Amino acid sequence: MSGGPPKALPSTGPQSLRDMPHPLAGSSSEEAVGGDSTPSPDLLTARSFGDKDLILPNGGTPAGTASPASSSSLLNRLQLDDDVDGETRDLFVTVDDPKKHVCTMETYITYRITTKSTRVEFDLPEYSVRRRYQDFDWLRNKLEESQPTHLIPPLPEKFVVKGVVDRFSEEFVETRRKALDKFLKRITDHPVLSFNEHFNVFLTAKDLNAHKKQGMALLTRVGESVKHVAGGYKLRSRPLEFAAIGEYLDTFALKLGTIDRIAQRIIKEEIEYLVELREYGPVYSTWSALEGELAEPLEGVSACIGSCSAALEELTDDTTEDFLPVLREYILYSDSMKSVLKKRDHVQAEYEAKLEAVALRKEERPKVPADVEKCQDRMECFNADLKADMERWQNNKRQDFRQLLMGMADKNIQYYEKCLMAWESIIPLLQEKQEAK
Amino acid sequence: MEQAAPDPERLLQPAPLEPLSHPDTGLESVVGEEVKGARDEGPGDGTMTESNFSLKKIEISVSEAEKRTGRNAMNMQETYTAYLIETRSVEHSDGQSVLTDSLWRRYSEFELLRNYLLVYYPHIVVPPLPEKRAEFVWHKLSADNMDPDFVERRRIGLENFLLRLASHPILCRDKIFYLFLTQEGNWKETVNETGFQLKADSRLKALNATFRVKNPDKRFIELKHYSDELQSVISHLLRVRARVADRLYGVYKVHGNYGRVFSEWSAIEKEMGDGLQSAGHHMDVYASSIDDILEDEEHYADQLKEYLFYAEALRAVCRKHELMQYDLEMAAQDLASKKQQCEELATGTVRTFSLKGMTTKLFGQETPEQREARIKMLEEQIKEGEQQLKSKNLEGREFVKNAWADIERFKEQKNHDLKEALISYAVMQISMCKKGIQVWTNAKECFSKM
Repeated sequence: MSGGPPKALPSTGPQSLRDMPHPLAGSSSEEAVGGDSTPSPDLLTARSFGDKDLILPNGGTPAGTASPASSSSLLNRLQLDDDVDGETRDLFVTVDDPKKHVCTMETYITYRITTKSTRVEFDLPEYSVRRRYQDFDWLRNKLEESQPTHLIPPLPEKFVVKGVVDRFSEEFVETRRKALDKFLKRITDHPVLSFNEHFNVFLTAKDLNAHKKQGMALLTRVGESVKHVAGGYKLRSRPLEFAAIGEYLDTFALKLGTIDRIAQRIIKEEIEYLVELREYGPVYSTWSALEGELAEPLEGVSACIGSCSAALEELTDDTTEDFLPVLREYILYSDSMKSVLKKRDHVQAEYEAKLEAVALRKEERPKVPADVEKCQDRMECFNADLKADMERWQNNKRQDFRQLLMGMADKNIQYYEKCLMAWESIIPLLQEKQEAK
Repeated sequence: MEQAAPDPERLLQPAPLEPLSHPDTGLESVVGEEVKGARDEGPGDGTMTESNFSLKKIEISVSEAEKRTGRNAMNMQETYTAYLIETRSVEHSDGQSVLTDSLWRRYSEFELLRNYLLVYYPHIVVPPLPEKRAEFVWHKLSADNMDPDFVERRRIGLENFLLRLASHPILCRDKIFYLFLTQEGNWKETVNETGFQLKADSRLKALNATFRVKNPDKRFIELKHYSDELQSVISHLLRVRARVADRLYGVYKVHGNYGRVFSEWSAIEKEMGDGLQSAGHHMDVYASSIDDILEDEEHYADQLKEYLFYAEALRAVCRKHELMQYDLEMAAQDLASKKQQCEELATGTVRTFSLKGMTTKLFGQETPEQREARIKMLEEQIKEGEQQLKSKNLEGREFVKNAWADIERFKEQKNHDLKEALISYAVMQISMCKKGIQVWTNAKECFSKM
């Protein structure tokens, strides 16, 4: 193996740890034997591990010689929520199995991306590749460039203040993995974005870096035109619906920010409460050592408080790991949406500018020149795409927040249930009479 | 020993070492409103007060508190709180209670009563008073003595104090205690007339004895050690509990902010609006629920505080024992020295140093008559000393016996009360958890409708 076996994080997925060669090195096809980790056993029961010797020219590992029948039955099993567009899903993407890679220049984490699809755009029914955060960032930039009229989902925050958060702690990596998984799933759900060629490449290419170098030339028409901002021309009137969306997003981001601060404050208070509880419980133990008949009851109370402390710690961890990241994601989402709205404004401005220029040039025939028509098309496409995306976004937002807040309520309920159980179990102990005196 | 005669003055000064009745070691402390007077095991009505209240069922309550202004001893105006003490006797047959006495007392009078009891019943673990000033407060509680919550908790504490006295087999019969409940005017003078302040052991004497006593009863040493530890651990517990309460308050109150922001957010939402709004309301309910929860917990803290102060009462009994023991040791030592002196004088040898011996050496020997006189005097002193030692010994043993009986009674009471306190604390926690589950379940339902 080239580059030596990478140090692996304890895998958070159900799979066993597997050593693997450096995923981003330009490994020869032979080196890929022992290859990118195979999908977990529960996904493809029929696969045989001998097949990993097969390397296909398109990259990616073969998903094994599973019969089409088992693939589709698999897809049926994996079918989760209803597809937003009402069609049966034909694309499934998962992010899991984070692994740490230690190299001379840097240390970083890669995640395994598993894709299953029956779409014709994919040569194989299944792919498994490894990607790092940089690659996700590249994908997002590409999507923004190539699909400027659409809302691109946000990535978790790029930069992490070193020393404050441990980039390699299990909790941080797991939080990030979930966010990256969400990111890809949102793209998968999008009827336009999911067919984007960059997305395809991201999911399937064995060597993404090679593709990255090519990427420069692939600007689309729309992307090009958006670069030419109508200089200095002010928007005549923003359509009401887009104005409303803008205002909504402003207030929305504001409220989320407030909720984020409140949640952080709650965590802080809970941690301080926990600190005191950790001192409180043991005092009952100390007292218990002085007593005779009261020794057991006091010790029992001490243990009870200990259980409540443990439950509280779980609650704060969950809030930090599950609740806050999703809030922040949505704030980032709103920010990126606002910039798309701005782009839309620019397109409209450009169109209006051209229109006005035509009106001024009186020598022109009433026939509208071709480039103005193109502008109008662009604008109307943009508006339509954006409207559709906004509706989809609103729906998803509603689902996401419903789930998020219900989850928060659930965690609190579980916390209280644990404490309740502890205190209820101690009542008989407190009430029992000491038999032998 | 001898039976106390029905002499009014005698009644005011019960002999502390005289067992007035057999202390009921199995008596459970009744901290409630109804109290049965101790069984009349002693002889006749000698030690009973006039109205035989110990034979009837008595209800004592401190039912009200009132702010008053008056002039103090230095003729300066002051504000204080007065408490209404009502005594009812319950007729056996129909269980109806009749108000027999009702008067107002202030905290300082309670203190006076207790100080009196400490002097006259040194072998009893005298119930403590509720704290004079609010301690172990967490931030919300006012440390102000005039604060209504503090006054209310003190009212309950004072009632508890009186009930403890009334349920104690020995203390309940005390005349001064009876007068405290029944004679409003002139009571202070009556107490002071007993001269109890003069009879009190000086602090200095007690301290001296504690350091110098050679052979105290081992059980008292252990008890003193225990009471020190108990005091230390309960103070620690109360301090940390106050901090815990403070933090818990913070957690609940911050959740109230969710109420406001959910409401604001719901204004810009269409389908999500209602769910958010109603969930926000539940967050407000959650935030405000902590006030009652923590108020209940204060009662638990008060129960712990009582036993914190009881530790001091235990120590007082130990100190008395040390004092008596030291007294005894000193008397024995003194007697031995006198005997030696006597012997030396009789035989003519001088082994012990004495001033007389010294002056004799310097100024010449004394005459045989002088020596005779001295020997005679010493012999008398020795005889007296022997009698004193005998009675001190007896006193000491009686004290230990009676004190230990009360200590056993106290231990039973303590174990029972603290167990009850822990149970009520657990019940409070259970109630708090159930409320929490309720609120969050309601909120979850609102979220599900989003």
